[in-house]
Amino acid sequence: MTAARRTLLLVAWIATVAILGWIVDRHLVIGTDLRLFMPSPQTRQERLILEEIGEGPASRMLLLAISGPDPQAAADTSRALASALRTDSEFRLVANGESSLGAIPDSLLAYRYLLSPTLDYSALDAGFLRRQLEERVRDLGSPAAGFLESWLPRDPTLELLTLADSWLPARQPQLLYEVWFDAAGNEALLVAETRAAGFDPQGQRKAADALQRAFEAARTDGSLRLEASGPGAFSVLMQERTQRETQWLGSVDVIGIVILLLIAYRSLPVLVLGLLPLVSAGVAGLAAVGTIFGTVHGITLAFGFTLIGVAQDYPIHLFSHQHRGLDARSSVRALWPTLATGVASTCIAYLAFLFSGVRGLAQVSVFTVTGLAVAGLTTRFLLPPLVPESRRDAADSELLGRLWRALAGLPRPLWLGVAIAIACVAYLALSPRPLWENDLGALTPVPRALLARDSALRRELGAPDVRHLLVIEGKDAQSVLEKAAALDPKLKTLVDRGLLDGYDQPARYLPTMAVQERRRAALPEPDQLRAALDEALVATPFKAGIFEPFLADVERARQLPALGPADLAGSPLETRVGSLLLERHDHWTGLVTLAGVKDVTALEQLANQDPGTTLLDLKQASEDLVARQRDRILWCLAISAVLLVSVVFVALRDASRVRRVLAPMALTTLIIVALFHATGVSLSLFHLIALVLAAGLGLDYALFFEHAADDPAEQRRTLHAVIVCSLSTLLVFALLGLSTLPVLRAIGITVAAGVVSNFVLALLLTRPRGSTTNDR
Amino acid sequence: MIGLTLAAAPLHAADPDVDALLASLARPAPDSTSFVEVRYSSLLETPIVVSGRLEHREDGTLLRRVETPYEEVTELRGENVLVQRAGSKPRRFSLDRAPELRGMLASFGAILKGDRPMLDRHFVVTAKGDEARWEITLTPRDDKLKRRLSAIVVDGAENRAKCFTLEEPDGDASLMALGVAGPADLPAALERPTLRDWCTGDTRQ
Repeated sequence: MTAARRTLLLVAWIATVAILGWIVDRHLVIGTDLRLFMPSPQTRQERLILEEIGEGPASRMLLLAISGPDPQAAADTSRALASALRTDSEFRLVANGESSLGAIPDSLLAYRYLLSPTLDYSALDAGFLRRQLEERVRDLGSPAAGFLESWLPRDPTLELLTLADSWLPARQPQLLYEVWFDAAGNEALLVAETRAAGFDPQGQRKAADALQRAFEAARTDGSLRLEASGPGAFSVLMQERTQRETQWLGSVDVIGIVILLLIAYRSLPVLVLGLLPLVSAGVAGLAAVGTIFGTVHGITLAFGFTLIGVAQDYPIHLFSHQHRGLDARSSVRALWPTLATGVASTCIAYLAFLFSGVRGLAQVSVFTVTGLAVAGLTTRFLLPPLVPESRRDAADSELLGRLWRALAGLPRPLWLGVAIAIACVAYLALSPRPLWENDLGALTPVPRALLARDSALRRELGAPDVRHLLVIEGKDAQSVLEKAAALDPKLKTLVDRGLLDGYDQPARYLPTMAVQERRRAALPEPDQLRAALDEALVATPFKAGIFEPFLADVERARQLPALGPADLAGSPLETRVGSLLLERHDHWTGLVTLAGVKDVTALEQLANQDPGTTLLDLKQASEDLVARQRDRILWCLAISAVLLVSVVFVALRDASRVRRVLAPMALTTLIIVALFHATGVSLSLFHLIALVLAAGLGLDYALFFEHAADDPAEQRRTLHAVIVCSLSTLLVFALLGLSTLPVLRAIGITVAAGVVSNFVLALLLTRPRGSTTNDR
Repeated sequence: MIGLTLAAAPLHAADPDVDALLASLARPAPDSTSFVEVRYSSLLETPIVVSGRLEHREDGTLLRRVETPYEEVTELRGENVLVQRAGSKPRRFSLDRAPELRGMLASFGAILKGDRPMLDRHFVVTAKGDEARWEITLTPRDDKLKRRLSAIVVDGAENRAKCFTLEEPDGDASLMALGVAGPADLPAALERPTLRDWCTGDTRQ
């Protein structure tokens, strides 16, 4: 190939990758919903769980605390912040304890008689009105007169206050300066419900930014501090930490690998060429995921790039075998069967995740398989013509020669391998502790201090529990509301018995139409009401005629159609009801949020009384889901393991060679699992992925060691290649193992341990017999 | 002590020394006094009259106990107000919702403590009369307060405050007579001018 054609090939390759990369970049939508990495729901119940985990009001709830030296300033800021957030599209609902009297729009004022429970137990007759008016006279004689007086002509029964009181949380924090404060009176407290689901870090990030902006504008004092807690705030925090750490680790990785490759090959062109298959793999993988799934999850990206990092090994094998007088094209032909076996078997292992039933893992699978295949093929067909002739030969290294001879002298303790395998299996089989971690939260744990702060705020605010939730299902909104209303007295009993701190349910805000119509029917006709009022007024010092606005409002209420969920659009009730009463897939779901659950059994009994009502224990349910899903993944992996062995068998066509190639990775997997178990580490899905990655690496090492012919020069070149590969991989994953984030640490430690174990075992168990003829 | 202060203060018929007056009025907690409150409202034909005791506790809490014609206790602690009345639900609210009450409390507290700076912070303070019969008028400075309260007038004689009158912009008012056991001690006719005269009149019977 002429220099010109080589240049053309290089340019065409880079251009193709660049253009594909540009297209991918323009069309790729990056998703952040963490539920993509949770099992996809199979049953109605499972779907409900996943919906609630991410979308239930408790998961959207942010608990806010404003603190500063001056409580009055904190209160003023709380008010300003609440009113700013109420108009912010990122938030659905904001509460800070401020009276909702002014929040009720004029159009809904007359509805107070249909929404408030007063008419359920008393009629608007002369007796009731007289008792109410007598109370009002006393109110006027009390210090509350100032703010009640202006309401009286329109609302002498203070129905609006009754309604506003009924909407207040059962247990609310103390009010200072008209807003919620903690018991110590130092921090103004607020609750804000975000529009974005709790497990959507991107949406939560936007909400957090909007919150911060609103706070900066609202603060009346520079010394005030805002704290936000809750699932959404935590997901933003954890995502930031992950991003920061991966960025930092990534930069160190790149520097380390560049140094390593420069030491190994002392050639800049080789360094650059070595990156081309990897970059092609990444772009091709993204394009494949984008085409098949439409979006790619942020975790898929991070994970996928970690996994296809293996592709960096492919050109390394080619480069290490380069020496004077050898054309890379003929070299690659000799390496290809081994390389192809490695690529094919690794791809098969990752294919298992395509059938895992977890959409995020299926994305990872498509990305990795496509990427590795592309990296393998480009290394085979595009790279060789571009590789410059090497003036150096790894086989000339005296150091490597000595190393290889020393290794050749090592025993080949096959029996030890068998013994270790039996010991590991026996240990794992006999250990009583569970092998697996089912808690999703354990993977991205929030710092303990923040969790303690969160539960303290939750207690102060009486905010709903993020774990338990009652779900009511029905074919329409009215039947759900009816069931919710029926549950209410039973829940109240639980609160009175101290088994529950509080609850919230949709019928508190929106009674069923039937109830509203019943109340409307109970409203007296104008003449009747006027007569009753006149009779009641006789015994009071109120002036005659001042209650005309009241008479007009009652008459208006008598003409009102009952409110349904759709009629609330635009009112503050819309968001309150909207987060507790939802239309989903042609049926309606009502949520009863629970605060301070102390007796789960009592709630279970309550739920069991009605077939349409379910008590969700989100933690338990998601753990069950994870465990069930993992079984499926393990089955998929078992099948792919069989396929993998078949591929290796077809490639090597010799049982003893197959055994030697597979022994290191099989043994490594067992040893790592046993070691983790012994050190108290529970295995997660991420360990599983890392184990597959480590096994793939082990298979590559073993294949190349096994492939090395009797030629001592080839053996040294193979050793050189495997050392460079394993060192670069070890560097990347050992750094990952230092991460403070359990997910990253799990992958890092697993793969780093796998690399070491695979390398050592491949040397001990796989090196060709030819080199060990001198043994014993 | 009070006598000394008063003696040292230059008394002027048209302009009594407010500082000296305040110092003489100071009543350290705990303190308790009976009151009769008369409230005039545009909603009412006849004013409401209640009587009871005001208690000022060491922790700064102010209790307003209504004893007749019904029982009611209002607890004013810090920013929070709690009104409890037999047979009805306790009502809680904060001073932010009742600015006139905050103004009333500020003036009341400042007078009990002899705290002139606190009075000045919230009100423009003017005084007239002499040592024997004086009148302090407090006009709010804050706009929010002004909307709910035009003025507080404190009438007194010597070292004793006799009446606190809250005048509201809409013409409503409430008048609290201190050290009076019951409505029987007030004039029989409770029209405002009659009561005003009673407040500004000489009570040393």
